[in-house]
Amino acid sequence: MIELGLSLLRGVPATLIVTGGAFLLGALAGVPLVLMRRSHLRLLQYPARFYIAVVRGIPPIVWLFVIFFGLGSGILVLTSLQAAVIAMGLVSAAYLAEIYRGGFLALPGGQGEAAKALGMSRLDSLRYILAPQVLRVSVPAMATFLVSLLKDTTVASTIGVRDVMMYASQKAQSGGGSFTPFILAALLYILLTIPVAVLSRRMDERLRTRSQA
Amino acid sequence: MTKPGHSLTDEGQPSPATAGALAPQGSQRAAAEADTIVRIKDINVRYGRYHAVKDACLDIRRGEVVAIVGPSGAGKSTLLRAINMLEQPSSGTLQVGDFTFSVDHRLTAQDLLKLRRSTGMVFQSFNLFPHMTVERNISLPQMRVLGRSRKDADARTAQLLERVHLADKAQSYPARLSGGQQQRIAIARALALDPKVMLFDEPTSALDPELGLEVLAVMRELAEDGMTMIIVTHEIAFAADVADRVIVMADGAIIEEGTPEAVIRNPSSPRTQRFFRAVVDRR
Ligand SMILES: Nc1ncnc2c1ncn2[C@@H]1O[C@H](COP(=O)(O)OP(=O)(O)OP(=O)(O)O)[C@@H](O)[C@H]1O
Ligand SMILES: [Mg+2]
Repeated sequence: MIELGLSLLRGVPATLIVTGGAFLLGALAGVPLVLMRRSHLRLLQYPARFYIAVVRGIPPIVWLFVIFFGLGSGILVLTSLQAAVIAMGLVSAAYLAEIYRGGFLALPGGQGEAAKALGMSRLDSLRYILAPQVLRVSVPAMATFLVSLLKDTTVASTIGVRDVMMYASQKAQSGGGSFTPFILAALLYILLTIPVAVLSRRMDERLRTRSQA
Repeated sequence: MTKPGHSLTDEGQPSPATAGALAPQGSQRAAAEADTIVRIKDINVRYGRYHAVKDACLDIRRGEVVAIVGPSGAGKSTLLRAINMLEQPSSGTLQVGDFTFSVDHRLTAQDLLKLRRSTGMVFQSFNLFPHMTVERNISLPQMRVLGRSRKDADARTAQLLERVHLADKAQSYPARLSGGQQQRIAIARALALDPKVMLFDEPTSALDPELGLEVLAVMRELAEDGMTMIIVTHEIAFAADVADRVIVMADGAIIEEGTPEAVIRNPSSPRTQRFFRAVVDRR
């Protein structure tokens, strides 16, 4: 049992790398994406809408295969870990862009206008006035997304990423079909989500006490 | 250009006019009308088919306090917002300080920023930045817009907070302040950029009468200091008392203007008479 648990732990680094890497990539790529989506220029807005709709409409595992086998074979040589980070990152970008967009819509009215009236440039207005407020209201939704991303990264094992899921299925097979490894894996995933929940609550509270009440 | 320590209403030196849509005024004309700081000429604003402001003409002298009154939907806010191009007029010319704009052709982003830097605007809903302290609300625009150092900006901020009687609130967040306090901070924030003219859009309508009074008191001091002000307001008594001139708008047009004495006590047009009778009946 202990030995089994330890062997599953060997998958934790890969799980964390795919989750963390994809989240970071998505959080960054989501910024230009939401700005395009909110643009009044169709040339910018429509590609963003298209990207978001397509990405969200297709299961992540398909993107994983497209990146790993499609992109990976012809153009670039990607390890399965790299392919998983990129594929899940591109998917995350679409979801996070939508979360940011919700944050923009939740802004108290007149913020952008006040910055404009003060003569602030659009970039300054975004950087100092809008983005910090958007980020703040987005924290809870981003945390929820991070937790579901952690679980979704299990598909990475299908292209050979040696994550928790990969070790669990290996052990299950060698152990003659026992499902104990999967129960242990389930516990491990739950454990991993706890810090995310705690951290997000902390951040949320800290940001809230400053500006409200 | 301007250092902290200047008076509240310091206007600085006229900046050189820039190329493009900003053309310097003819020097003789400028000399003859050196006292005109805002000139609105034949300004029209349309929302689609709706004609919200019709051929508005208005000249405002340096240091003058002008109140714009009139029924709801008359186009008062729209005209005020056209002055700093928060609303894009469809035609007309606009002069603010040393800059003359013909609004027929599109202005560059640079020109727009210049225009907005020379006007200060106070909104009905305050619009302070909720994620920043009061001090940062007032200092940040100075640093980003005028390029002041943090030290200079904070010094100017402290001075203005003193001026609006809120020196002890520098480190508070806006949500902790009353509406009247928030509005006075908003006034300080606009003043911090040393605007040539202050635009107020019903600055007290979102406030309890009592809190409104403290805002009006600050505005009165500002007027006494010689600040040029354009105030859209429903506070007729305040307008009568503080304004040098009252403008009456109805259905998108300026229908009457003159001294408060003339316009409020002896309005000439029947439309204005009706409006003031309604205001008086309300009280
Ligand atoms: N963004 C907009 N789109 C369409 N119509 C608008 C818009 N803003 C204002 N209007 C219309 O233009 C007219 C003038 O509006 P404006 O806000 O300037 O009136 P106002 O004199 O300030 O009224 P109030 O005293 O109620 O503030 C109104 O009929 C209004 O419905
Ligand atoms: Mg209005």
